[in-house]
Amino acid sequence: MTGWPVPSAAPSVARLIQELNKLPGIGSKSAQRLAYHIIKLPPDEAHLLAEAISVVKDRVIFCSRCQNLSDTDPCPICTDERRDATQVCVVEEPLDVLALERTHCYRGLYHVLHGVISPINGVGPEDLKLKELLTRLDGTSVQELIIATNPTLEGEATAMYIRRQVGQLPLKVTHLARGLPVGGDLEYADEVTLSRAFQGRQEL
Amino acid sequence: MGQPRSFRTEGVVIRSIPMMEAGLMVTLFTREWGKLRAVVHGARKPSSKLVGHLEVLNCVDLTLHRGRPGNLDIVSQAQIVEAFPALRMRLEGATGGMYMTEVVDGFGAEGSPNQEIYQLLVQCLRALHGGAPREHVLRYFEMQVLDHSGFMPELHLCVDCREAVQPGQHLYSPEAGGTLCPSCGIKGQQVYHMSVNALKTLRYFRRSSLEEACSLRLEPQLSRELTNLLSGTLKFWLDREIRSKSFLERLA
Repeated sequence: MTGWPVPSAAPSVARLIQELNKLPGIGSKSAQRLAYHIIKLPPDEAHLLAEAISVVKDRVIFCSRCQNLSDTDPCPICTDERRDATQVCVVEEPLDVLALERTHCYRGLYHVLHGVISPINGVGPEDLKLKELLTRLDGTSVQELIIATNPTLEGEATAMYIRRQVGQLPLKVTHLARGLPVGGDLEYADEVTLSRAFQGRQEL
Repeated sequence: MGQPRSFRTEGVVIRSIPMMEAGLMVTLFTREWGKLRAVVHGARKPSSKLVGHLEVLNCVDLTLHRGRPGNLDIVSQAQIVEAFPALRMRLEGATGGMYMTEVVDGFGAEGSPNQEIYQLLVQCLRALHGGAPREHVLRYFEMQVLDHSGFMPELHLCVDCREAVQPGQHLYSPEAGGTLCPSCGIKGQQVYHMSVNALKTLRYFRRSSLEEACSLRLEPQLSRELTNLLSGTLKFWLDREIRSKSFLERLA
């Protein structure tokens, strides 16, 4: 039986949907919605979006010190003289730097690994910015290395690997406290989180 | 009447990947259903009540809602049965656990339960958590996974001429399915020269308990040989290398 031909999007629209569909967390339906939203935008706004994408790809580079994404090298954080250069906080991704900066309680420097050791996915230490970290720490004034990888199995393995690699250097290695989230509920907390919260308890 | 919309099972979390805005897709190796993938909505939010329970290597009691046809099941409740915290605190233990989950992920099939492999995985994680020697546990685990998956290599007869192999005059080929006598060990197959000690150790690992296997003395050279033989066998049956292997070797 032959029916009506299935209507398809114009080739240029289909291409936009296809490209949006490649973004993380964007399925085919979301890609279609975004594409049709972009089509409805005033031309100025659509061009601003296109320009922003183009500029970010042209200008953003890795900071040669902390490996964070930046428009300048070194990045504004690394060149800020008010920051404490004796502390370096190691994070997995650039977004983690933004999360820690929102706290306003850390005034040291950062080092971004751009991933985490994940043997099951074939990601080893050589795929991260670890060599850059070791080079940076060698012969500098850094006194404390704060490891702020996620408290997952892979994050913990990465933290232990870094600890082993910097073992010979004269610096203090710490990692962020593990425990209960603000607004959390003891009843629903898992045993590992609770036991670590107990280990890290503080005097009132 | 159809299947109930929700079901309960026990399983080990063998993989976890971010999904959508704040969700996770977890792969579980369950006692009753074999390998199973499921979604955990909102798991990456700090307020999530489930994420701590669903950390990789945890053995958990789960309640899942069946997804619509073609969709993944959804985890609605999870409670840790056993968490193996000491295993996570040591790099060797954590990577050994990751290696075992990758092997189980490779040999396990969705919807195909294998209680022997499930119990073996929990037993070996418990052993690593308790400080058992990692190489012994991993080699024992590999042998038993091959056995319970139906891929146990022949270790007494020549797989070609079916004559009993003579110690000291034998070869090993994963492709042929086990030991070969020297006259049969040709024909373009990848053949390993296997020492008598390696042959005896593999036979022993097949029939012994984990505790007995861990009490065996393994010289470094023998340990390397067993690693090569078994990783070659796993690679042949899975048709790929176990990715965690290179990181394990780096730490050795």
